[in-house]
Amino acid sequence: MSSDSEKPATDAKPAEKPVTTKPAAKPVVKKPEEIPVELPVFEKGLSDKIAEKFDDKIEIAFVKEDRVRINVSRENVLEVAEFIRDELNFDHVESVSGVDYPQEKEIEVVYHLGSYSDSSLARQILVLATRAQREEDPIPGSDSTKLPSLRNIFYSVEFHEREIFEMFGVFFEGHPDNRRLLLPEDWADLPPLRKDFALKGR
Amino acid sequence: MTEIMPGLALQKVDERIMTLNVGPQHPGSGHMRIVVQIDGDYIVACDPDPGYVHRGEEKMAEYRNYILNIPHLERPVIHDSCNVLYPYVLGVEEILGIEVPERAKYVRVIASELNRCIYIMYWLAIYGIFLGHSTMFMWPAGDREFLIDLMEKMTGARVTHAHFVPGGVRNDLPPNFEDVCLRQVNYFEKRIKEYSAVFYDNPILIARTRDTGVLSRQDAIRLGTTGSVLRASGIDYDLRKKEPYDAYDELDIHTNVMKEGDSYARSKIPWLDMLESCNIIRQALQKMPKSGSVRVKLKPNPKGKGDQTVYKRVESGRGSLGCYVVSDGKPEPYRLKLSVPSFRNLIALPYLLKGEKLGNMPSVYWSLNYWPVEADR
Amino acid sequence: MSVIAPKFKLSEFIKSLLDNVFWIILILNLIGIPAVFMILFAIEMPVINGELLTPFLALTWIADPSRTLPIIQSFMETDMFKVMAFPGFGFAALLAAGTIFVERKMLAKLQLRVGPFYCGKVEGILQLMGDGLKLISKEIIIPAKADKPIFWAAPVIFVAAAASFVALIPVAPGWVVADVDLGLLGVFAVIGFFPIITILSAWSANSKFPFIGGIRALFQMVSFEIPLILSLLGVVILTGSLNLSEIAASQSNFPWIIFLPVGAIVFFITMLAELERIPFDLPEAESEIVAGWLTELSGMMYGLVQLGTYLKLYAFAALFVVLFLGGWNGPMIVPPFPAEIISNGITMGPVTLNIPGLPVFSQEMLNGTLWFVLKTVGVIFFILLPRGVFPRIRIDMLLSLGWTKLIGLAFVNIFIALGLLYAGVLGPGGLQ
Repeated sequence: MSSDSEKPATDAKPAEKPVTTKPAAKPVVKKPEEIPVELPVFEKGLSDKIAEKFDDKIEIAFVKEDRVRINVSRENVLEVAEFIRDELNFDHVESVSGVDYPQEKEIEVVYHLGSYSDSSLARQILVLATRAQREEDPIPGSDSTKLPSLRNIFYSVEFHEREIFEMFGVFFEGHPDNRRLLLPEDWADLPPLRKDFALKGR
Repeated sequence: MTEIMPGLALQKVDERIMTLNVGPQHPGSGHMRIVVQIDGDYIVACDPDPGYVHRGEEKMAEYRNYILNIPHLERPVIHDSCNVLYPYVLGVEEILGIEVPERAKYVRVIASELNRCIYIMYWLAIYGIFLGHSTMFMWPAGDREFLIDLMEKMTGARVTHAHFVPGGVRNDLPPNFEDVCLRQVNYFEKRIKEYSAVFYDNPILIARTRDTGVLSRQDAIRLGTTGSVLRASGIDYDLRKKEPYDAYDELDIHTNVMKEGDSYARSKIPWLDMLESCNIIRQALQKMPKSGSVRVKLKPNPKGKGDQTVYKRVESGRGSLGCYVVSDGKPEPYRLKLSVPSFRNLIALPYLLKGEKLGNMPSVYWSLNYWPVEADR
Repeated sequence: MSVIAPKFKLSEFIKSLLDNVFWIILILNLIGIPAVFMILFAIEMPVINGELLTPFLALTWIADPSRTLPIIQSFMETDMFKVMAFPGFGFAALLAAGTIFVERKMLAKLQLRVGPFYCGKVEGILQLMGDGLKLISKEIIIPAKADKPIFWAAPVIFVAAAASFVALIPVAPGWVVADVDLGLLGVFAVIGFFPIITILSAWSANSKFPFIGGIRALFQMVSFEIPLILSLLGVVILTGSLNLSEIAASQSNFPWIIFLPVGAIVFFITMLAELERIPFDLPEAESEIVAGWLTELSGMMYGLVQLGTYLKLYAFAALFVVLFLGGWNGPMIVPPFPAEIISNGITMGPVTLNIPGLPVFSQEMLNGTLWFVLKTVGVIFFILLPRGVFPRIRIDMLLSLGWTKLIGLAFVNIFIALGLLYAGVLGPGGLQ
């Protein structure tokens, strides 16, 4: 076993972003970063396009290398998704995850969008996040935890949204088939991935 | 279908259509149930029912810190475990802000490629037995022992290696590993080249899988499929080239693409990928730095700073595996989501099986490179 | 959880032993011996030297060395012996058992593994016996709503049909269980039974997977019967007879496969389909319909069906040999029985032993049997081989093969046979 001679990495993030120079797979040449606040150019271009169309309806959370994150409210998410598909050429969804924030009484649903047809976007993932209301005693499907479904815009979310429905209780309006996918048919407890569903023994 | 309540529906029974449970207790289905409705010999509708191996990995991951999650998160695919851990480990390294030493990157590449081959051999074995070809079951199952042997030398375990940790790899390679690895990989490559004579050029196989389950290029993009299913439909997308991680940007990789999009193409692409993996292993063994540390030592209970979210993805044996980690400054992740390629490819199953003959069901279903345990997590 | 008797008392143990002995003796004497006598009254007894041979007489005479062998020989001429032992059931079952073992070993070597290894000292020879014991000891589970009489009867009828098929095949000149003038037609009739039995068994099981398997078996067997019959007509045309022994005897100079190779190939392919061997094993397609029509059979019923299947395999291979490969004909490689022993007896020192009735088996019978077995084993080898090489065919490919391509080839074969006959090459005036 070789000796570990590095200094032990602290658990705090180092002061500056690590300088990484990956070979560019996209036509834009990256400038070497000197100032920590300098944002990568291509991704900045993407986020600028969205920001100028939608102005104050969205909020750009961060622009990192290959990842741009946008937070949208649930009324505007359909519009934004259509714009992303038509203008920016993102054509499929890589993953849909839900995050439960019980203190803020909201459940966040995060879509990761990617593109196969556009070669300049081959590395990019656009992170689209919306929030749904959260109730204390959920009745999945019949309470106020609802979000519009992106299935008519991106067909690939079909099974992912079903899974979010059963795991978090978020009902997707417009989805043709909100049914159980992974859980057994006789599951009668809370949606399991919520924070108030505690595992036994932990 | 009438809905009684969200999630539960009643269905009227049709006289002509027979509902068949290709269920978990069936030699043709793996750990999953597919409810097919057939009219004579043609499949009218198909409803996949995964969830038999659902263990709640993501929920359990929220109770374990970053290091304890390593043996936990490799369980979705036990023999491809390095590739399942890879995006998680890359994500955690970004959260903690660690830089991995050079030699560790190459060791990771070698382990990842070996795991890819091990998984594809097992998949190919099951594909053979689904088609009734018992020789094609025995040969890959036997030949992958060469690679499992190598993994055992490297990590100590045959499957579920738990070798990748945030900061590098757990242990260095044993001495003399390069020679043994080279020899076994060369012999392995010679063996798998014989498969073309017995399987891929077999006229009955070609007659059975050609032009069945055709997934056009547009549909493959629209359905969001990934991995070998995508490359068999004519789209050149391999994460090792498009978004290279670790040492892949210094290696020469050739992506195999076929245009037809039928079951035959989907069954051939993983085999071609295996031949490519042998080349990658040889290159990595050559270019690897001969000495150096393979691990950055972490403090106990490492935590990231503040609220961060990270999404990293990796090309595994089945396709692009992604891991979305949400951290809030505690030693345990706040939310961990594995975006697995089997689950993403599952949507192609009801789409492709509609209108197919019942005899084509196993060949189409398994050609989607579907691993039921991984899809359920 | 089994509970062995809590206390062991020797007196109780001896009492139970004596109890068993008493009951066994009682049943044997009161029921067994009368049953044996009644059976022996019904069986035809051979006549030797003008005397009707009753069982007592036979047992006394066998002790006399000058009469042992003639008794055994005349016993071998009886129908019962022929049905049970030599060209009939015993011989076929032995070959079938050997086939199963060879199949498992050969496939294993093809697939780079070992095959049966532990059961029996030499490379797992007793594996078959172990499997048979296992099947006998398993519980037979019948589905609740199955049609019980038919379901129970189907495997037995299957074995009976397979055995009747075996009964029509001649092994050596004069050694055939049923020497029927229309032997080949009888073969066709028996082959026509098998789809009926399969569909009966599948239907009576009242379950979805056997249902689909039975329908597929029906499709497969029916659609391949026509090419089977047509491909054999060429041989009938050239031989002029439907009697299997005559067909075998007519190939004393050359086998028919030289003149009718197309027919032989068509027959071989249809044979694979009738036997449900890979690549045609759709009715038992494991990965789609669990085990097809065999799904609900368990225990000894499954064992009977396997026995019937392998008897059928032997019978088909033997039919191929009789029709195309020359039956029992072949150069004489068995040495003749030394003639002095017949006339003078065996001499050891001052004692001369004269055993009448030697030789037990005539030279041509031994030679014929040897060649027959060799050729059958060769054909069986070629039947077993595709299992390691091909995947399974699909039902629509199978149907198009049986109804169009094979019938076409069979007609080509008939035209070749007619052409050869009318051109004078074969038959009266030509060769042979």
